[in-house]
Amino acid sequence: MNATTGIWRRFFAEERDAYVLGLLRLAFSALLFFNLLRTALEFDRDGFFGDYFHMPMISEAWVPSRAGYQLLLGVQGLASLLAFVGLWPREALLVASSTGLYLLTCDRLQYHNNRYTLLLLGFLLSFMPCDRSFLITRGRFHTLPHGQRIAPTFARRLFQIQVSLVYLGSTSGKLIDADWRSGQVLLMRFAKAPEICAQHGLILPAWMIALLGSAWFASLAAKAAITNELLIAFGVWQPRTRRVALWLGVGFHFWIELTANVELFSWVMAASYFAFVTPEIRERRFEYAPSQTRAAAMARFVALADWCARFERTPLRPSATHSAPFYVTNREGRRATGVLGLSQLAEAIPLLFPLWPLLALYAKFTTKARARPA
Amino acid sequence: MPRSILNLGAHLRPLFFCAYLATQLTLLVRAQRSPDFVFGFQMFNASSELKISLSRKVRRRGRSRIVRVQDGAWETKDPSGMRRSFRWQDRIRYSRLAVLDRYVHAAYGLDAQLFRLQAALHDCVMHLPGDDETEALIAEVDTIENGRAGGHVRLQADRP
Repeated sequence: MNATTGIWRRFFAEERDAYVLGLLRLAFSALLFFNLLRTALEFDRDGFFGDYFHMPMISEAWVPSRAGYQLLLGVQGLASLLAFVGLWPREALLVASSTGLYLLTCDRLQYHNNRYTLLLLGFLLSFMPCDRSFLITRGRFHTLPHGQRIAPTFARRLFQIQVSLVYLGSTSGKLIDADWRSGQVLLMRFAKAPEICAQHGLILPAWMIALLGSAWFASLAAKAAITNELLIAFGVWQPRTRRVALWLGVGFHFWIELTANVELFSWVMAASYFAFVTPEIRERRFEYAPSQTRAAAMARFVALADWCARFERTPLRPSATHSAPFYVTNREGRRATGVLGLSQLAEAIPLLFPLWPLLALYAKFTTKARARPA
Repeated sequence: MPRSILNLGAHLRPLFFCAYLATQLTLLVRAQRSPDFVFGFQMFNASSELKISLSRKVRRRGRSRIVRVQDGAWETKDPSGMRRSFRWQDRIRYSRLAVLDRYVHAAYGLDAQLFRLQAALHDCVMHLPGDDETEALIAEVDTIENGRAGGHVRLQADRP
């Protein structure tokens, strides 16, 4: 009983570095703004939804008038911008997401899972201490000192649970539906792919058309999609499987983005992965030889692309420059250079993350090959 | 340290956590019973199609007849004898239901679109000012369910 109470207390009192949450705020406020922009363009093109057939989920009396709707869109846009630049960012996030959620209930026809997910995650983010870094209005001093960044992050857990719920909701529907499980739903989608590609001037080779039209391939793809979603939903909770789960997620959403019109969904889910990053920063090291052009260029790249502040960058002492142009030390303290070093870099740099398993595998095999006796 | 009204106190955190989770789980469960799975995160759940053919039930010379609506447009005379034009698409802008006599993708599944179509028929029939002739709007719907020939559905909304 005492142990359970202890876990419960620790869970809600957990205090971690909030640096990465600032990055999460930047991403979600930008996405909320783009979502608002799409709504505003729809309003400009189609007019006010209340003037024609709509399906409110709340009482019709609660649906705003045309002027009220325009005002709310303006408020939502302003709030997203304030959250982005860091002026009352959490309150602004709450206003932007709550307004969006309210408007979503005003017309069921405008409901889409991607919009709902974005608004829910934006809402949860406002309860996190995401106002301690990336405060653009503070200029060079956009991030508060370490001591002021340590804050309760229980809402981050709720955000993570919500991400898992999105995948579980999605995969449960697919598991229940026999047509989805068997691949029939995907087969129909795949069968249309050659025609859609041809409309965009891309003629698929005959073997690919045959593959897309085959039932076994669709069945395999359906099972892979279901397994993938389950792996992401549960895998992100285990430190040992988290990185693989996130990598699968990135690949999954990249594929969805290529093959379906899902508005901002892929971007929303990719951005949400920042909530799974270990909050503590600068626990890895990137050492480089400043005198070597390539190593210096790499250091500049790391400075630019290390959005989650994973690496402490340190130049190698001149006496040590004969060894290797760079070294990457991971969180476990393994110091590596070459392809292994690059893979350790890729596992923590968002832009390189898609390459991480390839580099890690290559490093594993080449290291073994080198270790083999002649 | 930045102060915010959204910094929940230690006693409020468990309350917020449980309330949020309970709401989400309730919405998820309820979504399974909803025809369009709203709030249920059911993505890419069907590859079904539907084709809507619209008709009007009209009263002429004391008799009711079914008249096919071509391209969603029809004309009637109001009590003063003036001609009035109506278009399905003037009221129904939702793309899945605005297209008539052609197969379109049934986003979120057939049940979702049939549910919405019933509401659309009702909405349209309630917004026909000056059309004293139309007694009801009828949609004959042909469906293709995930590539297989589905059923034929007839939906009707009567004018009160």
